[in-house]
Amino acid sequence: MSSELHTEVEPEEVPPSSPWLGRERLAGLSLVGLGLLALWASSDLPFASEFGVSSGLVPRLLSLIILGLGLLQIYFSWRDPGPSTGSWRMHTMLPVVAAVILFAITIRGYEFGPVHVPELGLLVATPLAVVVSGLAAKDSKLPELLLFAAVLTIFCVGLFRYALGLSLPVAPWLIGY
Amino acid sequence: MWDTISNLAFGLSIALTLKNVFFCFVGCLVGTLVGVLPGVGPVATIAILLPVTLSLDPTGALIMLAGIYYGAQYGGSTTAILVNIPGEATAVVTALDGHQMARKGQAGLALGLAAIGSFFAGTVATIMIAAVAGPMTSLGLLFGPAEYFSLMIMGLIFAVVLAHGSLNKAVAMILFGVLLSTVGADMETGRERMTFGLEMLTDGIDFVVIAMGIFGFGEIFKNLADPEPRSIMRNAIGRLWPSLKELRENFPAMVRGTAIGSILGVLPGNGAILGPFASYAVEKRISDRPQDFGKGVPQAVAGPESANNAGAQTSFIPLLTLGLPPNAVMALMVGAMMIQGIVPGPQVIERSPDLFWGLVASMWIGNLMLVIINLPLIGLWVKLLQVPYRLLFPAIVAFCCIGLFSISSEPGHVMMAALFGLLGYVLYKLQFEAAPLALGFVLGRLLEEKLRQALIISDGSPLTFVTSPLSLGLLLVAAAALALAVLPSIRKSRDEVFKDA
Repeated sequence: MSSELHTEVEPEEVPPSSPWLGRERLAGLSLVGLGLLALWASSDLPFASEFGVSSGLVPRLLSLIILGLGLLQIYFSWRDPGPSTGSWRMHTMLPVVAAVILFAITIRGYEFGPVHVPELGLLVATPLAVVVSGLAAKDSKLPELLLFAAVLTIFCVGLFRYALGLSLPVAPWLIGY
Repeated sequence: MWDTISNLAFGLSIALTLKNVFFCFVGCLVGTLVGVLPGVGPVATIAILLPVTLSLDPTGALIMLAGIYYGAQYGGSTTAILVNIPGEATAVVTALDGHQMARKGQAGLALGLAAIGSFFAGTVATIMIAAVAGPMTSLGLLFGPAEYFSLMIMGLIFAVVLAHGSLNKAVAMILFGVLLSTVGADMETGRERMTFGLEMLTDGIDFVVIAMGIFGFGEIFKNLADPEPRSIMRNAIGRLWPSLKELRENFPAMVRGTAIGSILGVLPGNGAILGPFASYAVEKRISDRPQDFGKGVPQAVAGPESANNAGAQTSFIPLLTLGLPPNAVMALMVGAMMIQGIVPGPQVIERSPDLFWGLVASMWIGNLMLVIINLPLIGLWVKLLQVPYRLLFPAIVAFCCIGLFSISSEPGHVMMAALFGLLGYVLYKLQFEAAPLALGFVLGRLLEEKLRQALIISDGSPLTFVTSPLSLGLLLVAAAALALAVLPSIRKSRDEVFKDA
């Protein structure tokens, strides 16, 4: 990729505050973590059976290789740990994650412990997902977003339920399906 | 030769029915839309539209999905030229000289050359698919579990070699993908593997969840955290059709691009993405004014654009003839075929010739349609670019949620996709490529199945992979490719292909 494309799209690269926070070093650490997690998760599986391969062979072999690749990656990053990964700005995506969860628990109803969410259907879940996720934009405007959510909901219900005939709950509390 | 023609004619008779032309048209239109809008890739779109195809017949469904794929390649270059934002990964190269041409007031010429190059490449690629389909399928029918296993190993190694960036990280991503595919009930014993006792993992992870999570939600997370600047082109677009002289100057580049793209497209992994990069490098090397590259050279648009479209199409070859998807989009095509009760593999051409030839012929019709519908509609696409992202992404979120839920009726899957979205963001931050992960996941289940089948047949002897000459040959090719990739001199020139562009 050309340098001019890089400067336009990607933020400037700065060295990390600690070598262990460099991008390449972090990549290696993540792989080691993944390998260990998978090794632990597959530890209850039988390794070999009389037929040769059993359910545990492939997962455990993969975990070990990933672990090894992670160590190799850390070794590669020893001299140059890579630039800082910058600010992760995870807060920017929170509304979107919340929107997806809200959609998931309202579309068909959900129960966890004492909380009981009724089946609200597309008519509620869609605008909820649109408005809540829309709040993630820095330049979001609520009136515009509400109007957009209403239009989009009508469009989605019309398209998915009526035009395509998918059996999605529309509004069980209002029209029974 | 005669066979190829009569097969294509048979395909055309199916693809040209009113219904199938309509599906092809819808696919191309949706695909172009997706390609034009930044932040919505073909993988996420095809995943969203997968439930839609439930109500269609298999041929129509696949024709539409294929249309989305190559339509998106095409739309991606429109944005690359007009706004310098490659809508698709394959359009990165087009943005270099295409946007410079647009700045010089030659946007129309760049768009016109891209369209003609794509159409030419599409035509050649269609004929190529038709010509190699027969031999490839007969080869595929000779394959037993051991040969399939070795073929997939070779494919994955090619994917690593062709991935750009760190070799080590690409291997890790492929293996991560394979690892994810082993989650869920064991195929032989039904024993739960690595489910952490979670009920929603018992049946394994659906590829659609990964696709929408990483390529749909992940993309949104990335754009929210690191917004990309967008500059709409204010210059006039100018004349669209190139003059005869310009066409003559650029036609050789189109031919070279088509050849490079067609060959690389068949390769698994980044093959189709590598095509435009390689074509750009070649054009630059043989040009008498290489110093002008990057400042708006028409050949630097015509060549890569042809390569891009040729590769998109020839990547159907491994899927249609061997049943092996070479990339994430093709993996979703496998999903679409399975929904319709068609098991992809060498037997498809025999059992459902109308589907096979209809699909191949529809690609040519689709390419023709793209030229006809897109050039006049460019004004509309430019308008679409002005849709603010603050409204675009909530709509994508809603579509992804509805798509995910309608496939499985399982709220847990919708949430799982959000988790994969976060994973996609982490991968982006740490500069891991998501494409090898998707490929590893797709081939993973098949890989383990064939491995175990082969070992059962051979009574547990791993020698079975080297005693079959076909399998041994494939493994040797894979080893050679890997050895070449690790050699410092080759690695350097491989990096140069990407650096040049």
